[in-house]
Amino acid sequence: MNQLASHSPIRNAFKGVREAIPLLGGYIPVSLSFGLVATQAGFSMWEAAAISALIYAGASQFLFVGMVAAGSPLWLVVAMTLLINVRHVVYGPNLAALLPRSGHWPWLMHGLTDQVFALALTRLPQLAAPERFGWFVGASLLAWGVWIVGTMVGATAGETLTARWPLLGEVMPFALPALFLTMVAPRFTDKRWALALSCTILSALLLTFYGWSNVAIPLAAACGALCFYIVKFQTGRCNP
Amino acid sequence: MSTALWLAVVASALGTLLMRVVPFLWMQRRLNSATGINNMPQWLGILGPLMIAAVLGVSIMPVNPSAISWFATAIGLSVTLLVWWKLRSLGWPVAAGVAVFGLVQVIAYI
Repeated sequence: MNQLASHSPIRNAFKGVREAIPLLGGYIPVSLSFGLVATQAGFSMWEAAAISALIYAGASQFLFVGMVAAGSPLWLVVAMTLLINVRHVVYGPNLAALLPRSGHWPWLMHGLTDQVFALALTRLPQLAAPERFGWFVGASLLAWGVWIVGTMVGATAGETLTARWPLLGEVMPFALPALFLTMVAPRFTDKRWALALSCTILSALLLTFYGWSNVAIPLAAACGALCFYIVKFQTGRCNP
Repeated sequence: MSTALWLAVVASALGTLLMRVVPFLWMQRRLNSATGINNMPQWLGILGPLMIAAVLGVSIMPVNPSAISWFATAIGLSVTLLVWWKLRSLGWPVAAGVAVFGLVQVIAYI
């Protein structure tokens, strides 16, 4: 009986909501900024909210409104937006074995952002199989909802908020690296993984530092993968 | 927004959604086939954790980079790691890291 109760879809969804709360430290300031940037680029509050609801991919949204404001051809705007989002292609297959089959995935996968993927890949293996669907629904819907509301607030009151609490926009985003650190730390299981993960983190940081944040995630992950396979080759040679 | 601009939004949204959905459904179908879970390519399993590490690397960059924000980042991450080491959970390490990061920023601001 208790086991059945613990697998109630609503309870699982609330568990997902609770565990996704740290993500909001990053979502709120960035969505506020997007709302502000979008209105400065000439979009209305509802248009900015529609972009956030439909595209729902941070970096590419900033690029989208920036390129539109700069008068770039729309086919190029769409191509660049999709190019930045192409990294999402590897997220779904990594979660495929962890989630049950359902007819709802075609719309639920809309919530698969970088942050939701990272949280899901870490938490889903620790949950019982019947809990996972509800957990994913709760976590992804909270993140999506907050992203849209944050955009609307940023579009209407972004300037006032950032002027009144200048440190808020600097402190809250730190929740993201802190959260991801707690997700990556358990994966430092041996020297090979430690080297590959360190290489990835450092590459991503350097690429972002030098203004290549749009391609930092796939490039850094590729660097780490290369490192992972090279180390295996050397180990194999030393210990035939 | 003009009709053309709405079409651009819809095209970008649809393209992004397909990039999220299609590989997921394709892999689920593959995993449920007769040959089972061994169908998951090894490189994909390696790329998953590395993508999280890459997201970490990107997010480490402070909003307004300065000596103080880098210092606050280093202290905040150290505290996060320390609390995680003690508790092995997700919530408290994040709360402690953000609190210490904020404290360093506020002290520097004053």
